[in-house]
Amino acid sequence: MAGIIKVSHLQYHYPDGTVGLNDVSFEVQEGETMVILGANGTGKSTLFMNLMGVLDGVGSVEIMGMPLYKANLKEIRRGMGMVFQNPDDQLFCPTVMDDVSFGPLNQGQSPDQVIDAAQKALALVDLQGYESRTPHHLSFGERKRAAIATVLSMNPSILLLDEPTSGLDPRSVSKFINILYTLKSQGKTLLIVTHDLFLTQEIADRVLVFSEEKKPVAIGNYKEILSNHDLLLKNNLIHQHRHRHDEVVHEHEHRHGYVHEH
Amino acid sequence: MKSTSLLERLDPRTKIISFLSVIFCMVLTPITRIRDFGLYFLLILAIGFCSRITPRQILRKMCIAIPFVLFIAMFVPFLKEGTVFCSLKISHWKFDVTYEGILTFLNIIVKSTLSVFLLAIATATTPFPDFLKGLDMLRAPRLLVMLMSFMYRYIFVLIEEARRLMRARSLRYFGSRRGELFRTTGYMVGTLFIRTYERAERIYSAMILRGFSGEALSVKRFRISALDILFMAGIIVSLVCIISGIVNKIERAKASGAHLWQGL
Repeated sequence: MAGIIKVSHLQYHYPDGTVGLNDVSFEVQEGETMVILGANGTGKSTLFMNLMGVLDGVGSVEIMGMPLYKANLKEIRRGMGMVFQNPDDQLFCPTVMDDVSFGPLNQGQSPDQVIDAAQKALALVDLQGYESRTPHHLSFGERKRAAIATVLSMNPSILLLDEPTSGLDPRSVSKFINILYTLKSQGKTLLIVTHDLFLTQEIADRVLVFSEEKKPVAIGNYKEILSNHDLLLKNNLIHQHRHRHDEVVHEHEHRHGYVHEH
Repeated sequence: MKSTSLLERLDPRTKIISFLSVIFCMVLTPITRIRDFGLYFLLILAIGFCSRITPRQILRKMCIAIPFVLFIAMFVPFLKEGTVFCSLKISHWKFDVTYEGILTFLNIIVKSTLSVFLLAIATATTPFPDFLKGLDMLRAPRLLVMLMSFMYRYIFVLIEEARRLMRARSLRYFGSRRGELFRTTGYMVGTLFIRTYERAERIYSAMILRGFSGEALSVKRFRISALDILFMAGIIVSLVCIISGIVNKIERAKASGAHLWQGL
């Protein structure tokens, strides 16, 4: 097991001076699924943009043994793909097929290889037969899955997923979790940004918690983190409010996605 | 596989080339050869019969474009100088309608109606992404093709965004001074612009992350089949016939009772 992503003391300020990331350090092992938990606006997506080299922060980032420099960007992006939160940003071509083949074509694969890769990626997300459809005419869940396929067709070994389950109905979520399981079993390293604790419990090996100070405050096994109520409550991942159970009214924390017993 | 009409089976390149050449020839034909336009009409009608679209569909598509043409052409008869055909008197203004003006008016109307007719057939039988691919393969400027492709992809996203903004406004708008209305409209336009701008940045990074380096490549290659060559040859032969006025000659020959070949 080698650290496939190593981040140390990464800082990022937005052009207007707002702090984006505040001294972020962590390491991801090859083949593991790490979920990055954090409330809205804690810098999770900013972290992804930094890892992909779109935003340029201060500090050191090493991916697949290569330091994140401009010269290595092409090679790094070959092995690491990112799926944006909004599928309308990810799908920019007139048809699904154009979108899914966009990456492999730019990598210089032959047309046959490209078609093969695209078909495989579409099969993986259960969207066979959608090749000539227009992204605009797909449902939100289908668009989310098509967005993943556009990155899978490049066959990256690391996948960064930004809020993969946001805005999805329960059936689409379970479909999505199945896809993630398949990817996991293929030995891909997954980095998932979310505040969906249900997804975290289902898929995470380790969990990194971002605080509202835009830096990680805890890292650990998913059981450790998810059972640490104080930590979750403090970092705005669960909420606490008054509950009524027939006659008894009391206050306790509430975890999204969980059925809880009293 | 579902059955498709001849026009839908053709390569988009074939359609672009043959339809453009029909329009090109038509536009260069002087309006005084009115009989030729009847022949063009028959040719386009024949092309229409190669597809499975109904006249109703075509008419509906034509209705979108024709009013614009009419609006532009409407004033021509009054503006052109020449021999006066008749004049209109409205109080103390006098408008002269000239022969030349009427001819130009007819010129615009006939040519544009026929062109729009052909375009209606073309758009009904060619999916827009295929049309873009055809343009790209014909070496149309890539920037232009990409621009059109983004427009096709995002125009509806943009319209939806605008509609959401408008709905949000109307739910909170209870009628106020007119100035207020203009102000909120201004804000909405600004918001829409900023959102679009930010979206464009995200899309661009999504492209960069998938290895975009300035070239939009595409995989679905079309192939020119025998059918395409046949279709294109048919169009070109008919165009040559129309332009050379062969039909007129045959008729004249018939009238004089001579043998057909002598007429040619």
